Amino acid sequence: MHKKPLSKQIYDARWCYLFVLPCSILTGMFVIYPIGMSWYFSLLDWSGFTKEAKFIGLQNYYEAVNDEFFWDAFIRSFIFMFGTVPVKIVLGFIIAVFLNNQVLKLAPFFRTVIFMPVVTAIAIIGIVMTFVFSPFNGPANKFLMSTNLTSAPIDFLGNPDTVLPTVMGVYVWKWLGITMMYWLAALQTVPQDVYDAAKIDGAEGYRLWIHIILPIVLPFAIVIILVEAVGALNVFPLIETMTAGGPFFSSEVMEIYIFRTAFVTDSGTMPRLGYACAAGVFWGVAVLFITVLQGLWMRRTRRI
Amino acid sequence: MKKKKELKISRRTVMKGALAAGAMMSAGSIPSKLFAGEFNIPDPLKPLPTTGGNMRWIDSGDMKGVFWKKLFPEYAASRGITIEYDGLPWKEINKIVPIAIRNGTVHDVFQLPIGMDPGVAVSEGWVQPWDDYIENIDEWLGAFPSGVYLPGVNQFNGKTYGTCLTANKRTGTCLLYSEKYMSEAGYDPQAGRMTYSEIRDAAKKITKNGNGQYYGWIIGGNQVNRWEDVVHTFGQVGGAHSGRGGFTNRHINFQNGKFQIASDQYMEAVELLLQLKSDGSAFPGVMSMNAPQARALMPQGAAGMIFQGPWCIGVWGRDAPDWKYGIASEPVPDGKEAQPLYIAEGGSNTFWLSANSTMGPFAGDLIRFMGTEQGQIYWAQTVGAADPAVNPDAVAKAGLTGPSAQALAMFAENILVGPNPIVRNKDVGIVAAKSRVPDPSLALVIQGLYTGQLKGVEAQLKDCNQRYEDALDKAVEEARADGANVTRDDWVFPNWDVYSNYGAEKYQEL
Repeated sequence: MHKKPLSKQIYDARWCYLFVLPCSILTGMFVIYPIGMSWYFSLLDWSGFTKEAKFIGLQNYYEAVNDEFFWDAFIRSFIFMFGTVPVKIVLGFIIAVFLNNQVLKLAPFFRTVIFMPVVTAIAIIGIVMTFVFSPFNGPANKFLMSTNLTSAPIDFLGNPDTVLPTVMGVYVWKWLGITMMYWLAALQTVPQDVYDAAKIDGAEGYRLWIHIILPIVLPFAIVIILVEAVGALNVFPLIETMTAGGPFFSSEVMEIYIFRTAFVTDSGTMPRLGYACAAGVFWGVAVLFITVLQGLWMRRTRRI
Repeated sequence: MKKKKELKISRRTVMKGALAAGAMMSAGSIPSKLFAGEFNIPDPLKPLPTTGGNMRWIDSGDMKGVFWKKLFPEYAASRGITIEYDGLPWKEINKIVPIAIRNGTVHDVFQLPIGMDPGVAVSEGWVQPWDDYIENIDEWLGAFPSGVYLPGVNQFNGKTYGTCLTANKRTGTCLLYSEKYMSEAGYDPQAGRMTYSEIRDAAKKITKNGNGQYYGWIIGGNQVNRWEDVVHTFGQVGGAHSGRGGFTNRHINFQNGKFQIASDQYMEAVELLLQLKSDGSAFPGVMSMNAPQARALMPQGAAGMIFQGPWCIGVWGRDAPDWKYGIASEPVPDGKEAQPLYIAEGGSNTFWLSANSTMGPFAGDLIRFMGTEQGQIYWAQTVGAADPAVNPDAVAKAGLTGPSAQALAMFAENILVGPNPIVRNKDVGIVAAKSRVPDPSLALVIQGLYTGQLKGVEAQLKDCNQRYEDALDKAVEEARADGANVTRDDWVFPNWDVYSNYGAEKYQEL
């Protein structure tokens, strides 16, 4: 059969293209254009708001990869991810299993309670948590001292050893509800007759979960891990409001590093938007790489 | 193990404080000019547009904000406009103003981010001169003390782009202390400048007396500039003569043009901070609070001493009028005579008029009024020593008493005008625009030493000093490559007598 020319195919599908157009324009304006411009800016020595912008090729990238603070922030971002995602996944799964039980009458109440931090503004949570963890009359320290767990207040957010775990803990608490919802959605795809059949075959308790339920929800797990991993690499508002990356860079993740170099600092010198863009592009590529790896892993798992 | 007692602030205490504040206000203990409806705003010198409009104004707030919030409604009503005021911490100004400039939505009147060269703002066309909007501007400028308005600082191409209503003769690291705690520790800072050993001993004794309820010393440690401010000023008092201001002035000894971050005086100051920590005299949690949070804890009785600026006076007067505190000069290293502190010529709190603003006639009219003696008296009566009015006659007539008057007297005694490289050579401004504070900055190095993440004061300060030298060399090199006529010699002032003001005649001698 004679194939229609491309122009004819487009004309025939003109309504489809017309309906896609608004979305394409918006995507172009707010996704493609900023990405493209950040690639371009990363090649400039530019403060971001003066007319003077000098093309310097890959010099910003060279400087970034030779900056120990860049790599410290880079690694810290992954520490944050590996420290929070498994905890959220496991905890979220356990909670979802319990709350998926129809016998539990208070399940909707607990679901709401666990989900509540998710809908609370993150900046508010960040600020409130600085008071919660304050070593001076903060409720966390009051509890620890009143129960004799510690003899002196702990400066959770001011001690380089405790600051990152503390922020990670707050992050897990804040977003645990959404992980639980993902798991609940996954568990509700398991047909009731699977449970019934398993019971008839004598599979109960952990055997039911390990050998029957888990294989069914595993593809969901991959997606949940992917979403959670990318989410854990985007924690700017929480860290900015709780610690701003301090003390002495102890909680500085990549987004804080990029933000710090993109704007005028407390030190009072000109910002470096070009350099910040280079760091951002580098970081974006790294996250993309991880996402692709996870995508490949997901595809392989599905084949299994 | 003995359980530590905790300071408890009951609701009753808070209510008592609020009632006391109300009673004092009703009794007229706070200057009456604090209240709206009492400003005598003169008519404009020439008719203003009758179209009205909304004027947006942003600055670093604190006591300025207190004053503006009283004056602006009255002024706006008298001129038939509205005024939208945003008083924000410098950290926020540093973020918001550049973005607003970038997207063309900057306020009509604004302050430039810290460290930004005004010459860049002018050459980039972000600001417009005030000359067209301040009637008889030459006469108006003539009423200011010499050295406030200077080419290259706030005047460019023969026009005035930046207006200053306040003097920069102040420090941000005075010793502010609880009279009760200090007295119980057996010290009276009013008897004479305290030494480092005395500060340390007083902090220890206050902490011991506090028995877990309060501590000797507090600082807003997550606001990193506080560390640098303390070490810089204490270093100066110890004899490390240097300039104040942005990267191209601060920490530089203008006798030889070199950074002196690794000087003995800086090291001693850092050691004092570390000793306060190792003695157990520091308030727990200083690393997770900023300067305003630390300041707010003082009247609550949480600590005996804080090194901060005179802006605390107004805030404490408003929030804790019953609390007894004292203000004294920065401490001096043991066995040394206190040395002068230095400021650069010029004023402070410079206001710039956005190039896109259509509210210039109103902004100019308001600024003109605030530059008059009456405007300056109003300012001094409300703001006091926090941001001293630039007109000394107005300050004298404002009738300030108590800590504000004491602070101003202290600043007059301790602070001299030092050299300013940009007054000597305006191309230094290009270097300022090119300069970048190296990572980690001095502020962060001190923070890192305090938290124990960095080790060895001397080694760290030496490294930091070298980074600063290299950064300035690089900025000079880049400026020269762009055609600036500048060398590191522009930072050397061989005729600087560190015990006298460096005025116009000294620049002419160079």
